[in-house]
Amino acid sequence: MTEADKQPLKPKLTSRGQQAEAEALFSSIGEGAISTDKFGKITRVNRAGAEMLGFSENELVGSWFPKKIVAIGLDDQPINLIDQPITKAFLTGRPISEKAYYRRKSGDKIAVAITASPILLRGKPLGAIEVFRDITVEQEVDRMKSEFISLASHQLRTPLSAIKTYTHMMHDGYMGKLNASQKKALNTIIAASARMNELISTLLNITRMESGSIAVTPKVLHLDKLAEEVVKELALIASAKSIALSTATKGKGSTSLKSDALIVKEIMTNLTSNAIKYTPDSGSVELIVRPRQTEIAVEVRDSGWGIPKYSQNQVFSKFFRAQNIVKRETTGTGLGLYLVKGLVDTLGGRIRFSSEEGKGTTFIFSLPRAKRFKLQ
Amino acid sequence: MARILVVEDDKDLNKAYCIILRHEGHEVAEAFDGQEALDKLKSFKPDLILLDLLMPVMGGLEFLQTWYMPKKHASVKVLIFTNMENSPEVAEAYKLGAQRCIIKSWTAPHNLAKVVSDTLKPSPAKKPALAPAKSKARKTS
Repeated sequence: MTEADKQPLKPKLTSRGQQAEAEALFSSIGEGAISTDKFGKITRVNRAGAEMLGFSENELVGSWFPKKIVAIGLDDQPINLIDQPITKAFLTGRPISEKAYYRRKSGDKIAVAITASPILLRGKPLGAIEVFRDITVEQEVDRMKSEFISLASHQLRTPLSAIKTYTHMMHDGYMGKLNASQKKALNTIIAASARMNELISTLLNITRMESGSIAVTPKVLHLDKLAEEVVKELALIASAKSIALSTATKGKGSTSLKSDALIVKEIMTNLTSNAIKYTPDSGSVELIVRPRQTEIAVEVRDSGWGIPKYSQNQVFSKFFRAQNIVKRETTGTGLGLYLVKGLVDTLGGRIRFSSEEGKGTTFIFSLPRAKRFKLQ
Repeated sequence: MARILVVEDDKDLNKAYCIILRHEGHEVAEAFDGQEALDKLKSFKPDLILLDLLMPVMGGLEFLQTWYMPKKHASVKVLIFTNMENSPEVAEAYKLGAQRCIIKSWTAPHNLAKVVSDTLKPSPAKKPALAPAKSKARKTS
């Protein structure tokens, strides 16, 4: 045992002045601050922290941290002591930043952003300190932003739907016979409105993603069922190109996990509609769900034009479009896979692909079976 | 041919859907919100309801909760027609018994006609005991 180890594991402040300074600093922090000893007993709490939690300072000091302060995850379940930021900071010796809910004394909950750090003396942990901020208002703003985007998406599309429907009706002869040049003009309007529609959809989704206003609502979902829904919804587009669109589950194990159904469906829809778009007529697109021990993978396999080797490292970049595709198709935005990658990351998953020009592409994304979702 | 109730608040779109469906030979009635649909249903007995979600007075979800959820009308098919792609409202509509959901701005008239005829087909999974023969029942495949 070294001399240093023989020293008592207690922070020593060399003078009363320094101690008073530390206390003044602690209590003057505008955010909530709590410190604990190595057994998790609360040694100090500032006024802001006590007020946020609805306790008096006396009620908290001396209590065991998890007994008084209940942290709750997005799924509304209490977070285990071992997974709480303050415990993780103490055990790992590193600062931890996370978002969660704290249950107040009155029973209601507040959303908080937490930063916890270990208190170390000569490398040994004496306890931990955490600073937390009430982010209820920020969350409300995010919710309103998300609501606005959703409403804007609806409002932008309503006139577009009327344009598209009536143009199609004229084209299909509902309003009388047309000559060849009139039909050609209508085809141009139809193609342009479809592009506009795709743009609105992608841009709104990217705005949501980049502004961090994508709300993750984890619920138990069945990936095989979701894949069936996507296939059903895209069947019309596939049949227009005589593409065989199908789904299958391969491998044993449950196809269910806890994640956000709407985001997962968005990922599947994007990858599948991309596959249909970049596959020549009479090709095939298949969605394969592969349950594994710790994750579930979903493959979207197509017999399409493929991505050239030299540009494969840019596939998930914003505005990327493969050269062989640009020659055939000028309508894509180059935003779809950028969006997909962002959404997969949001869910704590991984995405990769393999592709051979002229033979086809397979995108594989996998989602973890156990994922603790943080507040966005 | 079937009896179809179109519930859509946008007058232009409502009119377009009625023209397309009548052109296909269906008997069509129109309503411009959920409340009007409830009134219409007192005299019009549809095989299928084409239902928008976001409408004034009474939206599509409230209509489903009021009229459809109690399963009083389980034989009537509900086809959701919305622009609220991948939204929680769509998920809720499925929970409330809607058979299918179509994004308006993606759907051309011939696709609308096809989706309507597909939705009207009797479900092959249903056992005969659960789906008693109707006068208009079609052959099952």
